[in-house]
Amino acid sequence: MRELGDLEAVVMDRMWSAGEPRTVRGVYEELLEQRRIAYTTVMTVMDNLHRKGWLRRRRDGRAYLYEAVRSREVHSAEVMSEALAGSTNRAMTLMHFVEHMPPEEARLLREALDQNADAGERRQDVNPPGPA
Amino acid sequence: MTVAVALLAYATVLAVTSPRLLRGASWADRAPRLGICLWQALSMSVLAAAALAGLALALPSPRLSANLAALLRACIMSLQASYATPGGAGIAGAGLTLTTILLLRVGFCATSGLARAGRERRRHARKLAVVARPAPALDAVVLTHPTAAVYCLPGRARRVVLTTAAVETLTAEQLRAVLAHERAHLAERHHLILAGADTFARAFPRIPLFIAARAEIARLLELAADDAACRHHERRSIAAALAALAGAGHPEASLAAGGPTALERVRRLLRPANPLGATRTALGATVIVLLLLIPLVVAAGPMAVIAHAAYCPIPAVAPPGA
Repeated sequence: MRELGDLEAVVMDRMWSAGEPRTVRGVYEELLEQRRIAYTTVMTVMDNLHRKGWLRRRRDGRAYLYEAVRSREVHSAEVMSEALAGSTNRAMTLMHFVEHMPPEEARLLREALDQNADAGERRQDVNPPGPA
Repeated sequence: MTVAVALLAYATVLAVTSPRLLRGASWADRAPRLGICLWQALSMSVLAAAALAGLALALPSPRLSANLAALLRACIMSLQASYATPGGAGIAGAGLTLTTILLLRVGFCATSGLARAGRERRRHARKLAVVARPAPALDAVVLTHPTAAVYCLPGRARRVVLTTAAVETLTAEQLRAVLAHERAHLAERHHLILAGADTFARAFPRIPLFIAARAEIARLLELAADDAACRHHERRSIAAALAALAGAGHPEASLAAGGPTALERVRRLLRPANPLGATRTALGATVIVLLLLIPLVVAAGPMAVIAHAAYCPIPAVAPPGA
């Protein structure tokens, strides 16, 4: 079960890099170059991905042509906005390294760093002010 | 009765005054773990005192005596005295109701909170597993996204999540320091500590102590993770990473009010480490132990009756046939 989950990520990675509709056989042959895998396994994984809404498919002769429903960027944006919302509604208890803040507040942090660098001896890992 | 009143008074005073006394106490920043333990002990102490007060109302309070026979006699006599009058039974019922409601409420909020958090985290983890690329060298997963952010997902599918923008923004040393910070959260199960504080705050949202404890524990957990990261990385690297990532938010993204905390963290990291001395740490630990013991000791009188009630030879005192 866990392996199928890992394969979903691998297959989606292929689908996104291909950028065009693929058949199960096409993906299977590509995967075969790197790992031992059964055709039926790839078919099951792609069928699962279709059922879960990651892939859409249409008939092309005797086979299905699969295609990513949305780009990796769109999915990433969704995961990210969920993660950012999770920090405020506390439900998921995701722990962010630091909350994003308005530019004027973020500037205070950089000023504190700069003052410290001026006061003490300069160290090598001083970070140049990043884009606001 | 006296015991119950004393416990309730103790709980009320602690719940109302302790946040004012403790908030902004500078020693907690020097010993975040001790501070977290203190807030937890305060919360537990208040809940225990209130729950035990209800129990004490339901039970007769004997005169404290070292003599077991005297205690037993007192136990039975006051049991009879307590339940003989309707008022006594009413108070006992109210006490038991109070205790039951308190414990059920905390239990309900704890289980519902944990279940919901677990469900949402698993859903998030499933999406993440497909979308994010594993980065075994960093022991993290990388999400393709233009906003620089780093967070950790606790629970069974625990992992640290970085965005591509975060990897680009941070230097290699800063990145390692940030990862150490997030791994400290995961390794020390900080989400459970947060969930505990959140349970109290949701169960009793009008109690100032529980609201303050949740906010302070969340803040101190960040300091604790900073300290853990400092053990293997430059303090300045973490401070620089904080400054770099705090300003990386997109204008349209919702901005949390974490500003003052982040600034405090940067300032704290730029100063040399200044852990609390042994004497004051021991003092803090003593206070924590006392907070946990006080409700138990005060309630020990009535509780002793429960312990002895199991052996209370009531039929022997009032033998039906002999």
